Amino acid sequence: MIKLHPNSQQLSEFAQGQCDSGVALIIAAHTDMCRQCKQKLTLIEAELAREAMAEKSSPDPAFDTMLANILQMPAASGIEVSYKQKKLELDGKEFVLPRSLQRYADKINGWSHLPGKLWQARVDLGIDGRADFTYMEKGGSVPEHTHRGTELTLVLDGEFSDGIRNYDTGDFIERSCDHVHTPHTEADEGCLVFSILDKPLHFTSGIARLLNPFSQLFFK
Amino acid sequence: MLVGIQLETRQTQRPSGPEIANEMSTYLQTVASERCKASFAEIFHYFAPRVRSYALKQMKNEAQAMELVQETLANVWQKAHLFNAEKGSPSTWIFTIARNIRYDMLRKQQKRKEDICSEDMWPVLCEQTASDAEVSLDHQVTLEQVGQLFSGLPVKQKAVIEAIYVEGKSQQEVADELGIPLGTVKSRTRLALQRLREMLEKDD
Ligand SMILES: [Zn+2]
Repeated sequence: MIKLHPNSQQLSEFAQGQCDSGVALIIAAHTDMCRQCKQKLTLIEAELAREAMAEKSSPDPAFDTMLANILQMPAASGIEVSYKQKKLELDGKEFVLPRSLQRYADKINGWSHLPGKLWQARVDLGIDGRADFTYMEKGGSVPEHTHRGTELTLVLDGEFSDGIRNYDTGDFIERSCDHVHTPHTEADEGCLVFSILDKPLHFTSGIARLLNPFSQLFFK
Repeated sequence: MLVGIQLETRQTQRPSGPEIANEMSTYLQTVASERCKASFAEIFHYFAPRVRSYALKQMKNEAQAMELVQETLANVWQKAHLFNAEKGSPSTWIFTIARNIRYDMLRKQQKRKEDICSEDMWPVLCEQTASDAEVSLDHQVTLEQVGQLFSGLPVKQKAVIEAIYVEGKSQQEVADELGIPLGTVKSRTRLALQRLREMLEKDD
């Protein structure tokens, strides 16, 4: 069951189109998976529309020309584009992605196998920061780390724990520099997440500390 | 004497709330089914000044605001068949179209190339497919690779890096421990990092 959702402020900014693109995308993916947030969003949009459409600007002579121009335009074809569901593939496994992320299933730059039974595929969104699909096999874990910025994670399939609590499919997780955590999974089917990171990770233990001087390189 | 005086009664006694929503829904359905220009004109006269008021708050200048109004209302005319009264009111639908177009306009104005479009996130006019921007295959550096590169460093540089980045010692502590000047520790660190960086870049 989904327990963690974007807060009202985040949903409202999303509905207004005011969030950073990466943040907006992961919120959109959550609302694809979460009925509750989808309903909330519908209400927020109706309220925003009521406010935005309450005021009208003064009449403008340019409107007449605009109307005439628009009426010259043909109707859109109305032909439904057949919607082919794309799956994310990894090592013989297939994952169905939420609608918002579908288009990125084949825009990954290949999977990299990382130590700790981890697989990671970066998604090139052209945003500041980075976006990745990460798959943890059963018994997999990420070295303990904290964040310089904010990490948003959406659990797409399976469940995991980070030493702070457990997370289930659909959960929307926000982590910032206050948290030191060690994500791991014991689920048989492993766990697939999508995450957006606005600053490099800061590794805090063991050999992984070596990575800190290079986190900019990881991050490029 | 009354000749030439415009009758404004229709304007001032405009219905509001649910009534206007019902009226506009009917117009939208007529536009969808019959391409009725008179119905569209009603929709246009009601919504264009409202979308413009929203656009003026959102866009940098008058011209962009008008572009947003034009794009929004053109979509209403061309895609009226996508309006579904069961899902929401006409003003919510038109607001969401304007919001999406605004988002895409601002995205295009930005210098950086973001490959996310409004319909990915807010499917209002589900016909659009984004242009397939070329995805560059950029190199992934993994923990394993860094480990390998690290083992390729000269022994003296490796010792310094290990003490500082793995054991967490300060440069002064390393200098004292190895019995070498602090300046040497600093230069070894710098050289080692530079070398690792070069190796990573050469790998690309
Ligand atoms: Zn939710």
